Parts: sequence; structure tokens; C-alpha cells
Amino acid sequence: MTTAARPGLHSAFQPARTMQGSLTPLSVLGPQAADERQRIQQQFESGVSARETVLALCALADNAIQQVFAEVLRSHNMPSAGLCLVALGGYGRRLLFPYSDLDILFLFGNEKAEQAFRPLISDFSRTLWDLGFRVSSAGRTLEECKRIEEDNVEFHLALLDRRFLAGDGELFDRLDDKVLPGSERQARPFLLAQLHKLTRDRLARYGNTIFHLEPNVKEAPGGLRDYQAAIWLRQIAGEKKELLNISAAEEELASGAVDFLSAIRCFLHYSNARNDNTLTYELQTAAAERSLGVADGVPRNAAEWMRLYFRHARMLNRLLLRYLEQKAIVPQTLRQRLFSVARGPKFEPSNGKPFGVRDGLFEVLNQTALSDRALIFSLFTEAARTGVPLSRQAERCIAYIMQHPELPVRNAEITWPVLREILGADYPGLALRPMQRLGLLTEILPEFSRIDSLVVRDFYHRYTVDEHSLRTIEHLQELAAPPDEQGTHFEPLWKTVERRDLLIFALLLHDIGKGIPVENHVAGSLEALASAARRLRLSAEETTEVHFLIEHHLDMSATVQRRDIFDPSTISSFAASVVNQERLQRLCLLTYADIHAVNPEALTPWKADMLWQLFVATSNHFSRTLDRDRLHAHDEVSLLEQVRVQFTGSSTEQIERFLEGFPRRYLAVHSASEIAAQMVMYQKLPAEPVQTELHSTGHAFSLTLLAADRPALFATIAGVLAGWGMNIIKADAFANAAGIVLDTFHFADLHRTLELNPTEIDRFRRSLADVVNGKAPLEPLLQGRDTASRARPPKVTVETQISFDDSSSAHSTLLEIVAQDRPGLLYDVGSALAALGCNIEVALIDTEGQKVIDVFYLTDQGKKLGVEKQTLLRRALHEKLG
Amino acid sequence: MMKLEAIIQPSRFESVKDALREAGIEGMTVTEVRGHGRQKGHTEVYRGREYTVDLLPKIKLEMVLPDKLVNTVVDTILKTAKTGKIGDGKIFLSRVDEAIRIRNEERGENAL
Repeated sequence: MTTAARPGLHSAFQPARTMQGSLTPLSVLGPQAADERQRIQQQFESGVSARETVLALCALADNAIQQVFAEVLRSHNMPSAGLCLVALGGYGRRLLFPYSDLDILFLFGNEKAEQAFRPLISDFSRTLWDLGFRVSSAGRTLEECKRIEEDNVEFHLALLDRRFLAGDGELFDRLDDKVLPGSERQARPFLLAQLHKLTRDRLARYGNTIFHLEPNVKEAPGGLRDYQAAIWLRQIAGEKKELLNISAAEEELASGAVDFLSAIRCFLHYSNARNDNTLTYELQTAAAERSLGVADGVPRNAAEWMRLYFRHARMLNRLLLRYLEQKAIVPQTLRQRLFSVARGPKFEPSNGKPFGVRDGLFEVLNQTALSDRALIFSLFTEAARTGVPLSRQAERCIAYIMQHPELPVRNAEITWPVLREILGADYPGLALRPMQRLGLLTEILPEFSRIDSLVVRDFYHRYTVDEHSLRTIEHLQELAAPPDEQGTHFEPLWKTVERRDLLIFALLLHDIGKGIPVENHVAGSLEALASAARRLRLSAEETTEVHFLIEHHLDMSATVQRRDIFDPSTISSFAASVVNQERLQRLCLLTYADIHAVNPEALTPWKADMLWQLFVATSNHFSRTLDRDRLHAHDEVSLLEQVRVQFTGSSTEQIERFLEGFPRRYLAVHSASEIAAQMVMYQKLPAEPVQTELHSTGHAFSLTLLAADRPALFATIAGVLAGWGMNIIKADAFANAAGIVLDTFHFADLHRTLELNPTEIDRFRRSLADVVNGKAPLEPLLQGRDTASRARPPKVTVETQISFDDSSSAHSTLLEIVAQDRPGLLYDVGSALAALGCNIEVALIDTEGQKVIDVFYLTDQGKKLGVEKQTLLRRALHEKLG
Repeated sequence: MMKLEAIIQPSRFESVKDALREAGIEGMTVTEVRGHGRQKGHTEVYRGREYTVDLLPKIKLEMVLPDKLVNTVVDTILKTAKTGKIGDGKIFLSRVDEAIRIRNEERGENAL
């Protein structure tokens, strides 16, 4: 390996191999060096490039070292044989920044030489220090250089950039030509693995993102260290660059990025007068004003200039990540190597799609097929659904297609149903992150470009606005397996939240207003929602939900910090603003993610706890006050109008009669269009006393049943569903003032009976109506299912809990049941209630994994349940539930 | 010089901070803490799980003051942190012998 073969910046300066030139006296060398430093700084400030600046600084240091070394040899009256000076690391690559240390190796021929030269080295180092050079040195004999120091990998990495400075040239040649190539080759797997580890640790220290508001231009992801690490990986792996698909254009971009970042680093050193590489807000403004690193020289505002910075940083970071993605070399026996060559990496193609999974990453098999946007998005949907990330290869294939407009693009218009499939999946961040990198996110959601690499200066945020927004989503998807204790509270919320797509959509949009010149960023974000919702054709109900989340995205945080959350009036007024449990759950997750993504320390256990307590108190408030607020339809002018517009077949009086007396929650969980559809059913009641509506919701079915109240109605419906093998996931039951009951059941079709046999849907509805009307018995339906369902053992055990609460409602007794889920459970509960004459005023049925959480508002002949009735009921339920 | 430590309700923190700023107090250390005095915790049940909140969230303010400002600051905190309910918190005062500014080694009240 020779110095010329290594990548890096080149200088015309070549150090002399012999000390034959005339020496400058040290008394003169000091002021000369100071003058030269000042001249280099002035030249940089007047526009000379960073590349020339670091080369000039390097030449200055080389010259000083040679002069000082010759002088100390002369004063000690020693020849240089047996000692040479070697430049390492950045200095070895001739990248010497104004206040960087000089990394120097004192290479000794043997231990005897080391002893002999020790006093000389001490003089040499002190003299250089006095001349204003900061020396960071190491000493090794040639023999020691043969050994790999496992606890000092950084030294071996620095040695990769070795360069002769002064002294015994033959000694350097032995090191460079004979000693190191062999030991480096032998230690290649170790060095590679260690470099991988060091690099990944470094990236993790900075949150694995380039998008810091005040980035460190050397160490942070996207900094100069990324470029160097990429080069080291290439050097150690010893692979040709063609193998890694680095194009000439990419090399040029990387080189431009290095120049840009080098200019910043010089500027930072000169501005701070020390080796400080943090690009602070103040220095961002100063750099933008002088258009640092930009050829056109046009002054810019800081935000605009920082976007240039992020563009360059992204280039260097991507380059590094591509090298990191290449598998690290690990020592293998011959047998292992032969076996792995014969077998090759396992590849799992995705069912007829032009992509598949290899080594845990999605790869593209047929690049040209990707000119069909629908296929690209199906790849992202798969990533979001399965949690398998895209490989760099896949991203590069998509980027290639997108950068070649001559390729015919098919299915270019991506609709909301496609996007919501990604947003509603378990791992939306795994799709949104590469979509952003590739420009597909802004293609589908141009509003997002407003916050692209946007620096908004505030004391708490650490990341740019787009990075913050994507991190919120990643923090939520982490809840599938919470990484910390505070996450465990929020895990069930994430797993059971309804309309996850709307929550994620709100997170994408919630801070877009920060990139719009409006006084309040929330107003700007709502503007962005309006345009996005129009273009993507979200329904009015969907838009309203996202609007709510964006508009109130700071409310929960503010309530936690500025209100007494242990005061019931705080909870009551907060609950009134949130309206229903489903929204509360989405808002809580949004708040959790929003705080978490501010900076790694922002979500303290204290804050997470407060947020959780506010959630629990509000959630309990909802379930305990359900029958407190009943609808007085006459006062609901706006709602009446909305329903009347959607359903012209009835008068306002009829609508009022239907709505009168329903709990307020009824409005919270049914939109105006749903109410209009229920009005249609209501009008048909006189002709057909049991009205049902059944539709598929993708993974489940939703059944709405409208009928006049009758004994054991709820239990009967639950029984029919159980008899048909349906598993009830969620249900609610409401009654209006006229005794019309509206029950809604969401259930999973465990045996896919309705899905695979569409004709069974009619038979199911008929069977339901017949049983409810008393025309057919329920028992035969249940007999077959009973034994089969009870035979299966549960995966987790949930202890049955039964509690009564007489204080929360003025009219009813609340019964809360927590129990192990199983088919037919709700029928058992309902029939126990019916057998004891309990009337269900309101019911809320929910499941969380294998746990059911049922809340019933019960009355006994219009009054709360007495103590005796409660005891009997508890006993009956324990008998049924175990 | 006196060191003041105040334990207050989180919901009163913003008001206390603003009032102290108006009174000319710039520097303070703020910590999120948990604890209880006479105000005991309570138990919440959510979906069958019991959550006992026996240590309640509070904010702790710490500042070292020149003697002449102590009464003003105490009055300000009393006025703004008080809701009249159990759990409003406490103020503790203790004497401080010396203060040293690390940057320039100034001492005494000049270092505050």
C-alpha cells in the first residue's frame, strides 16, 4: 500500500526525505508560522477555498515539523537513522483544519532507538507546542506495529492514512511496504467489524439522523467523519469501487459535499478560535450571510443556507450507510465459506411482485416494473405492514426510475386509499422514511416540502421540523415492543387505537405550519390539511378527525403542565373538549410521540406519567359519565340540519324524535351520514320490527341493529353472533327516550363464513332477525359452537374482575367486567344480566388482545341495582366467567 | 445570602416563573420531582389494572438570593403558587455561606 494509492486531497507539497536544506532559526520560525497562519486565514476569509486552506495549513505544519526536527537532531548531535515521523489521520490525508491537532507517530527502528531518542522527542514536542502547533503523538517500534492492538482500533484506523513526514525514510518504507500491508490484511475482519461498531455507535450517539438544528459538522451523521468512515470501509474491505456501484456522478457529489463541509469546519475553527465543530444558530446566520461554501456568493437567509447543508450532509450519510449495509466480513472456516457460497443468501420473493426479502431487507428483482407507481407503493405498503425495511439497493432502484423521466410512468396518481393503507399499518415509519428520502412523500403530499430540512430555532427542539415529524411516527411504531418503561403504558393504546391512519396523517401534518409564514403554526398546519384533504379526497368525517388532532395537538401537553390534573373539574372540561374515547386515545398517542420526538430527553418519566394519568382519568370520566348527558334533539340545530341534508326523506320532527334521549356518546361515535342511514332503518321499523345493516370494514364486520327494546335483546344478538362463530371485538348499545335500541357490534369472522360465502350474509341476517323476533330458537345455533370454542386453551391468562360503581351515574349502576376473551362470552354475560332482570341502559364492549373490558350501565325496574341484586349478579357472572 | 427551595404544583409553575421574572429574578434551577406530604396519593383503575399514584408530581425550584430579595421572592411565590388546597407545596429557606462564579471566580452576592 502506498500513500499515492489512498484516496484524499492531494497537495503539490512533498516533504524532503533528507534534511539538506538550510534551516530557519527557531527564533524566526515562530513569528513566520504565526504570520503564515494569519495569511492563510485572511485568504480563506477573502474567498480562497477550504481545500486550498487545509492544504496550506498542512504545508505550514509539514515545513515547521521538518525544520524543528532537523534543529533538534542537530542540537542533540544525533543522526535520524532509527527514527521517523509519520503523519496520521486527517493530517496524514493532508486535511489539517485551523485548530486541529497534529496526529504524529514517532516510529522507532527498535527499543534501543526508542530509549536513545526519548530526550530528543521531548524537546521536539515542546518546541512545536511553543510555535503554536498542538501535537497529539504516539510512539511505536517497528515490531510493535506488527501487532493489532484490539483496545485501540482508532490508532490502526489512523495508521491507514499514514504519510512520511521526516527522519529515516527507509524505516518508513519498511513500515509502509512490508509491515503494515500484511498485518492489515490479516486483521481485516477485525478492523472492519470494529469500524462498523464505532461508526454505528457514533451515529447512534447523534440519534441516527443528520437533521440536527445545531449539527456537529465533523462527528454528527452527515459530517466529515461519515465520508472518512466510508473511505476506510472501502479501504479495509479492499473492494473495487465498481463493486459498490458508486457512479462518477456520486463521487463528484460526495467531493462537493466534502468541500462544503470543509469550508464550514474552517469557518467554525476561525470563528471560535478553537477546535469546535458545532454549527450554532449564530454561526449559521453568519455563514449564510457570507454564502459560505456556495459558488454564487449570493447571501441567503439561514434556513435556506441550512437546507444546502442538509443536502450535502444527506449525500455523505447515504454514502456511508451504503457501505455499512454491505455485510461485515467475519472470520469463517473454509467449510463455512464453501457452505455459504453453495447455498447463497436466502431469498423470499413476494408473491408475484417484482420485489422480495433477502437478509431481512426488501430488494427489487425487476427494476423496470417499478415505473408503475402502484407497484412502488405496494412495496412501501409491504414494508409498513411487515416491518421489513427497504434495502439501499431497493431505494436506489426506485431513485433510478424517478430520475429518468423518459421511462413511461404508470399509475402516477396515488390515492388516499393507497396512502392510508401505509399510514394505518403497524410500521408506517418504515415506509415514510424512504418515501421522504426518495421524494415520493412530497410527490403525494407536496405540503410536506414546506418543512423539508427546516430549521426552526428554539431551545428545546433538536431536529429539523421534517425529522421531528417522522420521528413522532417512529416513536409510535416502537410501541409494538416498547424500548423503555414509560412506553409500556402506551403500548396497549397503540395496539388498539382506531383509525391509526388518521393519527399518522395528523402527525405528518401537525407542524407543517412552521414552514408557512403565519403567526400561529397550527393555523398553517390546518391550511395544509385543507389542501391535502381536498386533493386526496378524504371524507368529511376523516378531515374533521385529522383537523381535531392538529388543532388540539398541544392541548394535552398544556393541560398536563398548566392545569391540576387531579382536580375533577380539569378532567371534566378536558373531556368535554375531546368528546370521545377514540379521539382521546389518538390525541394521547400523538402527544406522547410529539414530546418524545423533541429531543431524546424530552419525555421524562415524570412527563410520561403525568400524560398517562391525564389519559386514565379522562378515559374513566368517559366511561363513568355516559348516561349523564342525554341528547335533547331540539337543541342540536346544526346536527339536525346536517342529517336533514343527507336524508331528505324525513322531517326535522322525525329526526328529533329518533335522536331524543340518546347518550351524548352516540353523537361522538356516529357521523351525520351514519345517523342519516340509521334514520332510514328507523323509518322502516313499523313494517319490519328488526332492522339490520351489515358491512365489511376490511378485517372485520360491523353490524348495526335497530329494534324496539325487549328483554334480553343484547344477550340474544350476542348469542346469534356466537352461534355463527363470530368473535365480538367491540360493541355499544344505546337506547333513546322512546325505547328504541341501537346496538352496534364489530366482530371478526373467525371461520371466514361470510367472506367466502357471500350468500350466507342474507341467511345470517335472516337468522338474526328470526331469533330476535322469537321466530327461531337460539339454543341450536349455540350447541355446535360451544364445545369447539371452549376446547382451545388461551394464550395468556386474564383474571376475571367484576366491580360495581353506584356513584358515577345518577340513574344507573355501573358494572365493569374484565375477563379472558372467548367466543360466546358476551352472550354468557348478557344472558346472566337478563336472567336477573337487569336492564342495559348503555353498554360499551371492548377487547385488548385476549382481554375483554365491558362496561354496562344497569337498572333494575328503572332504579340502580340494590346490594342484594349486585351480590347475586356477581355470583352468576363468576359462575359463567370462572 | 439565602437558598430558597420551593416545592409547588406543576400547574402553578408557569405563573410563578412569570411572576418571579417580573420581580427581577432571572436565575433558578427547576426540577421535575415526585413526592407527598399531607396530600396523599390515590388509586385509579384502568381496564382492570390498578394504578396507585402515591407520589404526586411536583416542581421544585431552587435559587440562591441576596438577603434583600428574600422576602419579595417568598411573597411572590406565596401569591402565585397558592390555590388554597392541600398539595400547594412548601418553601424552605437556608443560609448560604459562599457563592462562586466559576467563569471569573467572583464571590459572594456578585456571583449570584
